[in-house]
Amino acid sequence: MTAGPARRLPAGRLTALLLVVTVGGLLAAGLRAGPEPSPAAGDPTPVPAPALAGATLDGGRFDLAGARGQVVLVNVFASWCGPCRDELPLLAEAARRWSPRGLRIVGLNLRDGPEAVRALLAETGVADLTVLPDPDGIRAVAWGVRGVPETFVVDRDGRIVARRQGVVDRAWLDRWVAPRLAAP
Amino acid sequence: MSPRRSLRLLVVAALLAAAAVGLLRSSSSGPDTDPVRTVAGGLRCPACQGESVADSASPIAAAMRQSVAEQLAQGRSPAEIRRWFVERYGTDVLADPPARGVSLLLWAVPALALLAAGAAALRTLRPRRPEEAAGRAGPVARRRTPGSAAPPTPRGPTARRLWWVSSAGVTLLVVAVAVAAGQTGRPAPAAPPADPVAVTLQLARDLEGQQRYDAAAALYREALRDRPDDGIQLRLAFALLRADDAAGAERAVREVLARSPESPDGLLVLGLAQRRTRPAEAPSTLRRFLTLAPHHPAAAEIRRLLDS
Repeated sequence: MTAGPARRLPAGRLTALLLVVTVGGLLAAGLRAGPEPSPAAGDPTPVPAPALAGATLDGGRFDLAGARGQVVLVNVFASWCGPCRDELPLLAEAARRWSPRGLRIVGLNLRDGPEAVRALLAETGVADLTVLPDPDGIRAVAWGVRGVPETFVVDRDGRIVARRQGVVDRAWLDRWVAPRLAAP
Repeated sequence: MSPRRSLRLLVVAALLAAAAVGLLRSSSSGPDTDPVRTVAGGLRCPACQGESVADSASPIAAAMRQSVAEQLAQGRSPAEIRRWFVERYGTDVLADPPARGVSLLLWAVPALALLAAGAAALRTLRPRRPEEAAGRAGPVARRRTPGSAAPPTPRGPTARRLWWVSSAGVTLLVVAVAVAAGQTGRPAPAAPPADPVAVTLQLARDLEGQQRYDAAAALYREALRDRPDDGIQLRLAFALLRADDAAGAERAVREVLARSPESPDGLLVLGLAQRRTRPAEAPSTLRRFLTLAPHHPAAAEIRRLLDS
């Protein structure tokens, strides 16, 4: 039998085979891995919160820099967003429950009209919420907001310690807000 | 070189040139004069699937466009603005993120494959020396690596023809794709960047967001001149209502109701307008609205109004 060099794969074919296997392997790996998880979906390493200051809906003034020492929940919402409407009562309840322990809730109202927001606040029973209008959305973009609703937890040192795209629930608040508040 | 061979070479060269021109033309983005659009076109809308910030109608994309405009007005360079967005949204926000790791392979593999194919083609097509053609171990064969010491396979005219045909086929394919891409891409720079009515409507919505309902109503009227549409007419009526022009709102909405008497949105706006113009008729209109659309987003609010 002449099992020798003649039986070996020629270099060209070997290269082609390697190429096909590599490309196939890469494609398979890509399919298996699926889309990368959105970086903003999880819990970020604490980063300093961008500035957030201005006139509030009720004519007062809010400045995040002045809220050091408090835990601030920044909720980006709009009256044209259905899920935001559902979420507001829970946030109002959290404010009632936790404001004695140092929680402050601020609504950043994205591309909306004051009348529509006032109606929404009245409807959902959260008329006393601090609302910062953001009629052109520039403030929300500076916070890296991807859609409404989106919620940020800013700790006592002014750092974003958690963010959530979409509606927050009680469990999320218990996990990310409660441990940062003063003891009852 | 035989005339036939030169002709073939000429055809392939012409095809290659056409492919290169087509590719260049389809990859250039065309003359974009609006700097906001240029920067926004390089950003991916984070709330959409595969749409740029320049093209998306989502509120976040609109806000991002506004932010781009504001930063350009402050004198920031497009590169600085892109960096600003990357700091907030990650590199995913760039329409053409820098190639790294596996994505770099995506560029490298086709290039390597092309090189390999080119090398293989050269080997087959290279004019052979007489002694090699005779199948003996000539000087060329001896130059090969010892690993492939097998006698050279007879690379007859069939193999050569196959190479020519397949390379011409691939080049033709590239030309066809490039020409098609050029044709689909060509109308874009010639035509205005977006449908003017859509732009007017977007502006009107933005104005409504800023509570400038009179100005919004004027824009809706302008849009209606170009495109009579009940949806736009309803928005006009709603804007007029919010601009405290209940009579104007009623007139506008009655035109819609004349065409489609059971339009829930039409009845809603009419009822709300009637609360100011002729309060006695409003409840019956609003009740009709509730009967027709009990699950309308405004239904709960209207029920509350009717109960109070």
